[in-house]
Amino acid sequence: MEPIKTELVVVGAGPGGYTAAFYAADLGRQVLLVEQEPRLGGVCLNRGCIPSKALLHVAKLIEEARDSAERGVIFDPPRLGLAKLRAWKDSILQKLGAGLAFLAQKRGVRVLTGRGYFEDSQTLRVETPQGQQLVHYDKAIIAVGSKAAMPKAFDLGNPRIMTATEALEVEEVPADLLIVGGGYIGMELGTVYSTLGSRVVVVEALDRLLSGADPDLLRPIEQYARKHFKDVRTRTTVAQMATAGRQIKVTLDQDGRTVEELYDRVLVAVGRVPNDEDLGLENTRVERDERGFIVVNDRQQTADPHIYAIGDIVGGALLAHKAAREARVAVEVIHGEESAFRGITIPAVVFTSPELAWAGLTETEARAKGIPVEVARFPWTASGRAMTFDHTEGLTKLIIEPDSERILGVGIVGHGAAELISEGVLAVEMGATARDLAESIHPHPTLSETLMEAAEAFYGYATHTFARRKKD
Amino acid sequence: MSLSEHMALRGKRQAVMEIKLPKLGEGADSGVVVSLLVKEGDRVEKGQPVMELENEKAVASIPSPASGTVERVWVRVGDKVSVGQTLFTLADAQAAGSAAPTPRAAAAAPAPTPSASVPEPHAAAETYVVEAIAEQEAAEIEATVKPGLTPAASPSIRKIARELGIDLTKVRGSERGGRIVMADLRAYIQRLQRIAFAPKPEARAGLAPAAPVEPIDFAKWGPISRQPMSPLRQTISRRMWENWTAIPHVTQFDEADITGLNELRKRYAPEYEARGARLTLTVFVVRVVADLLKQHPVFASSLDETTQEIVLKHYYHIGLAVDTEHGLIVPVIRDADKKSLLELARDIVELAEKARTRKVTLEELRGGTFTVSNQGGIGGAHFTPIINRPEVAILGLGRGALKPVVRDGQIQPRLMLPLALSYDHRVIDGGAAARFIVDLVQALQNFDEQQVKL
Repeated sequence: MEPIKTELVVVGAGPGGYTAAFYAADLGRQVLLVEQEPRLGGVCLNRGCIPSKALLHVAKLIEEARDSAERGVIFDPPRLGLAKLRAWKDSILQKLGAGLAFLAQKRGVRVLTGRGYFEDSQTLRVETPQGQQLVHYDKAIIAVGSKAAMPKAFDLGNPRIMTATEALEVEEVPADLLIVGGGYIGMELGTVYSTLGSRVVVVEALDRLLSGADPDLLRPIEQYARKHFKDVRTRTTVAQMATAGRQIKVTLDQDGRTVEELYDRVLVAVGRVPNDEDLGLENTRVERDERGFIVVNDRQQTADPHIYAIGDIVGGALLAHKAAREARVAVEVIHGEESAFRGITIPAVVFTSPELAWAGLTETEARAKGIPVEVARFPWTASGRAMTFDHTEGLTKLIIEPDSERILGVGIVGHGAAELISEGVLAVEMGATARDLAESIHPHPTLSETLMEAAEAFYGYATHTFARRKKD
Repeated sequence: MSLSEHMALRGKRQAVMEIKLPKLGEGADSGVVVSLLVKEGDRVEKGQPVMELENEKAVASIPSPASGTVERVWVRVGDKVSVGQTLFTLADAQAAGSAAPTPRAAAAAPAPTPSASVPEPHAAAETYVVEAIAEQEAAEIEATVKPGLTPAASPSIRKIARELGIDLTKVRGSERGGRIVMADLRAYIQRLQRIAFAPKPEARAGLAPAAPVEPIDFAKWGPISRQPMSPLRQTISRRMWENWTAIPHVTQFDEADITGLNELRKRYAPEYEARGARLTLTVFVVRVVADLLKQHPVFASSLDETTQEIVLKHYYHIGLAVDTEHGLIVPVIRDADKKSLLELARDIVELAEKARTRKVTLEELRGGTFTVSNQGGIGGAHFTPIINRPEVAILGLGRGALKPVVRDGQIQPRLMLPLALSYDHRVIDGGAAARFIVDLVQALQNFDEQQVKL
């Protein structure tokens, strides 16, 4: 095959890669997008954000139907059609993938299916189904992402020991499911499986679930987990796993005690590792850290002047929206603009029940860094809208710089927190003050009012709560 | 940030309060304590001046932000203090009201102190402008970016700043919470530009005649003593050097026959005296110059070096160099062209007195069109005055003296006034200067008595 010459090649078509490719094309660049899988969208679309949210929607539906008895609406217990569920979920992925392919085509972004391998700083070899294709480029953006970590000790070749990828396929609903790792993946899939009918046990090595979240925001999630999961065990690690017939025998180290238990399936959700291997990076000047993440500066430049990197492969928050923003920065820098990923708020969202989201500074972080802050809270028990949803287990809080009254961070736990957090992101990014938030009318009755009322609470006059006046 | 916000404790009633040096104005973040107006144990009222601070621009009195008893004075006369430094501790402090008083420039009681009354050499030949402390900035929103935090600015502003290479931590935000908006960025850029076009401080320090490169051991040749240069003296030194090096000076000499003018002056002086005014030669000269500037507009101009334009001023504010014990001060007489001789005479007496007692206000030192420096009271004849930038010309007057002058073929004794007109040759040509001085001589020799009559 004739070598392809292109201005820009983007390796990996996840949310980072396709955003970069599309944006570069929109700026008039000649772009080649290389993706090893037939469907664009990367982990997010195929094995992450999107399928998990489809399943969480179903879980929510089941939960709401179950809880409706108390509201005077009684449903029969749900009957699961897993094949139908999978098909529905897959149809979403299919539609989104096709949409991306269409958008690429419309922009004149050439898509090459195959695995990319760097021959040198300006040459990429792509193993396509049709054979080897050499690509000569001026600039490359690496956006090859990450994958679920599977520690060697757990990798028995037993399909009952799953990562998120397999768990999202929902081959069956195991009676007893062990989830190793109380991070956001473990907690979201725990919610899905427990609602579908599994007895879920979550084990977490640290002393808290969802590390990084403020303890007060975590409380409703812990309460949910304690009620609906069989067990949640912190400071617990898996010492060993072994196949035991159709089950997995798991040896747990629980605060120094050794416990042996049998599970039908195990979900390993202990983190993610970069896809940095077998990429030919050693043929370039690209540098990696000790964990394998590519080292970049805040302009997304690697140590190789021809190569940029974005998304999970550069580490930090492994989130699609972070990758997409980094894509913009990389493309703008390549395009000769002054751009940098600096001081940008990356919201964190966990789609548990209830949802948890935060943006900017957390209270925990402020304390750790010694930044003086005041915290204004508005509990959802005081929200009329939360009552009508029958979900008053929520809290909205603002992290405020006391002198300027600037909003440094926003944290929300509760129904729809993932949607609500964007206003917090805007407030933090714009350098808004509590006064700005308090004086912007929020429609009634909505959950978004809790942001306004939290700001009002800072000044001591939130209508729907009574708190001692803090500020003169 | 207001003084009251510097209180050690928050709240309305305070047991003990630390009074810190507030921000004095742009570029003025330190100064030397020239006098302490209170001592430990004194009772002070809110707003009462507690000390005087001299910086390179002026003397400012620092008022107390609260009432109370001075428990401790942390500074001594002669100390250099910076913004934020603790000056006093007040016991039983009560800061009624929230509005903090702002320090008033050069408006304190005249309290010369031992350290400040080092005799200054008389320097009537040079002129400089005391720029009093710039207007108090709207100081309530001092946007201080705390460690660990980024400046408050929207993503679009941050993008523009990045493109322009501006560090937002240096930009002062005017919006609520110190948020930086486009207007703040614009103001910051303009400030940078002004600084960029100003003479380089290194050049000043390196080349100023006051700072010889190699230290000389003068004591080798005999006994010496040293005196510190007051901030005012340092400003004079710097400004003189700047003006002298920045402007190609030419000084035009002439003499005016003021025999007639002097008779007029003597004749009307008692009447003026009776009305509380001193009819001096300076009064006449100011009158004549103000009128003459209208006929010679380029002498009432300034050079805008950034736009390469000549700024013609249609106002005639005449600066008057006043010799004081601290150094030269140049108060400005507003609209000299519109004032009667009596009004001018009164203004001059009043301003000169204010200058000597350091009571002259910021406004009274600014916006001159042209300067007159009269050494006649001391003596001497011609000299070469240094132009008071951004003005473009200055008139120096020597002492009038009786000289043998040929009039109508005969030698007569006439009272001759030495005139020295320094002008900026970038803006003013020699011909224009000669015409100006000829007209000036004519105007002084033919002063209309009607103007003197009350």
